Amino acid sequence: MSTEHPLSILANEAYQAFSEMGFEITIDGPEIESDWYNFGVLNFPDDHPARDMQDTFWIKNRKEYVLRTHTTAVIARTIEQAGKEGRTPFAFISIGKVFRNEATDVTHEMQFFQIDGGMIGENISLAHLKGVLTQFYKKMLGEQVEVEFRPSFFPFTEPSIEVFAKFKGKWLEMMGAGVIHPNVLRNVGLDPTKVQGFAFGGGLDRIAMVKWDIPDVRLFYQGDLRLNQF
Amino acid sequence: MKISYNWLKWYIPDAPEAEKLADIITYHIAEVESLTPLLGEEGAGGGDFIFDINILPNRAHDLLSHLGIARELASLLNINFVDPTAKYKIPESKPTELKIEINTAKDRRHVGRIVRNVKIGPSPEWVVKHLESIGQRSINNIVDATNLVMFDCGQPTHAFDLNKVKGARLNINAAQNGQKITLLTGEEKELNNTMVIISDGEGNPLDTGIKGGKYAEITTSTTDLILEADNFDPVFARKTGQALNIFTDARKRFENDLSPELASYAMHELSALVLEMCPEAVFEDIVDTYPEKQAERKLSFSAERISKILGLNVSSDEIEDILKRYNFVYTENKGVFKITVPMMRLDLEIEEDMAEEIGRILGYDKIKGNIPKINFKPKVNETYAKIEWVRKKLLADGYNEVMTYTFRDKGEVEVMQSASDKKFLRTNLSDGLLESVKLNKINASFLGLSEIKIFEIGTVFKKNGEEMHVAYNEGNKIIEKNLDEFGK
Repeated sequence: MSTEHPLSILANEAYQAFSEMGFEITIDGPEIESDWYNFGVLNFPDDHPARDMQDTFWIKNRKEYVLRTHTTAVIARTIEQAGKEGRTPFAFISIGKVFRNEATDVTHEMQFFQIDGGMIGENISLAHLKGVLTQFYKKMLGEQVEVEFRPSFFPFTEPSIEVFAKFKGKWLEMMGAGVIHPNVLRNVGLDPTKVQGFAFGGGLDRIAMVKWDIPDVRLFYQGDLRLNQF
Repeated sequence: MKISYNWLKWYIPDAPEAEKLADIITYHIAEVESLTPLLGEEGAGGGDFIFDINILPNRAHDLLSHLGIARELASLLNINFVDPTAKYKIPESKPTELKIEINTAKDRRHVGRIVRNVKIGPSPEWVVKHLESIGQRSINNIVDATNLVMFDCGQPTHAFDLNKVKGARLNINAAQNGQKITLLTGEEKELNNTMVIISDGEGNPLDTGIKGGKYAEITTSTTDLILEADNFDPVFARKTGQALNIFTDARKRFENDLSPELASYAMHELSALVLEMCPEAVFEDIVDTYPEKQAERKLSFSAERISKILGLNVSSDEIEDILKRYNFVYTENKGVFKITVPMMRLDLEIEEDMAEEIGRILGYDKIKGNIPKINFKPKVNETYAKIEWVRKKLLADGYNEVMTYTFRDKGEVEVMQSASDKKFLRTNLSDGLLESVKLNKINASFLGLSEIKIFEIGTVFKKNGEEMHVAYNEGNKIIEKNLDEFGK
């Protein structure tokens, strides 16, 4: 008998769900990321309170490099490349490890997995985002799941929304998302007067905890096979 | 930010009941993290409800205040807004000897005035109630007045004891490297030339901009004041706060880029409050130093583009209704709107900002989801394919997958600061995997395993870069390879 780590099972289910909706998998970005791809390209201004939203590990003796705080950096790299190759319209999905410098507890861990995606075309809207994410959460958590959007703020999306999913009678905060900010499109070499799209990102660990009733996020990284029961 | 329901109701008496209001705020403005009823026996503020609202960074310049939230709700719900300005009695004022000089671009506006013949004492009960309801301690009438103004309209204000301020003069300059100031808390801080110092005619340090100093503190013997409201540059406020470890409510507001227009409003409100508390007070003229007036901003957007971003058909009529409720000055021609952005709405810069504004006001529940069909041919990601091949191979060979920590207590790459004592990134998977083998051996019978066979696929960090590795055990021996070397 051999078992897979629950996050690998979930990652593959997520990739499958997005592949069925026409997304391409990308994991081509480093875990030590430049300040530019982690923040700058995503329209985070220097010395802005928005940077406090993600407690960042800075690398010693390597100026302006960080442990990536989100896989949005991978999506940014990938859409920049796809734009250069003239592949618009396109859609990408990425799952990878990210890092936040914060005290750990049952819902916070310094390393965790994030799922990030984006779609860019001529008229890709918030309604399309809602359609895609509703389908995704139905595949992950079951047909009865409902999805709703609430106001939020991210420097890289405008409008920005928080994605909630209703699972077992409770609304749970699952992701941040929105329509990609025109500054981000310009930063990756696309023309915001010609294309528009959405981006989303959130914890994969969070989905696993909800789906399988795993009580503590820290259990994922103990190397403990008692976790492999799904 | 803590917001008192009763305080809000001063401005929006027709507001719905607290629980319903909490939902409205969450779905249209920002998340209400908690709604707490204050019971009668809990002292001042009893019978109130306190909203803890997680104000979003792009609205922190105008919503970190009761007035800001009330104004937003009045427009959102199309209910009556009671403008408080009319009831602020404008004190008669006399010519002043107060001199203000700003010599740094970091202070974008200073509004000051001298007030004489005040009596320091306890605050009126309603002031204590307001402050305590949102978790603030009442100190004395004048200090409370400055705090109340900040929580009411969002503008930090401050009062100095005039008789300590030499020459009735405030000089606002870049600080000098090594210059020292003792804060109100008694803590001494050393400044540098990226910071600001407010000093008097003899160079006594009075204030850092984000935290007042001890030197001209209001005491029970204070009789004459300088009231002030500044507008500081947000990057200055943030950097100074970080460097000096100062987390005041003033810093929080300044670093979110307040409109300089707010400073004169705040002085008006503060003056009226001081007059209410000290009816014998003698007010001198306001000295307003405002080198560069906030520019008026125009913004143009179309109903068509808003609809395209939201994926929801929004008509010109619906947009006009919103613009009217929010008191925007606008013109419209065939679905194209030109608006004059209100001075307080620094967040509205581009068409997309208006898409968010209209989307959140209408409510995102109006948007119906649909899955788009795009003409895109996905390719296979080679790294992912390789990882999957390795994982399947090891699973087929009877191995179980684990994940271990990236952070270790030794390594070649170190992070600058960490909430944990493990500040290095792993140089291999083997060390973590070996610990995992030991752990799982202890649990082998529980797991029903006669032999522990585990693997991990993950990134390791060496001096000259990161690599994707795969590691698995053979008994107590760990075999670790570069992902590309596996299976060769």
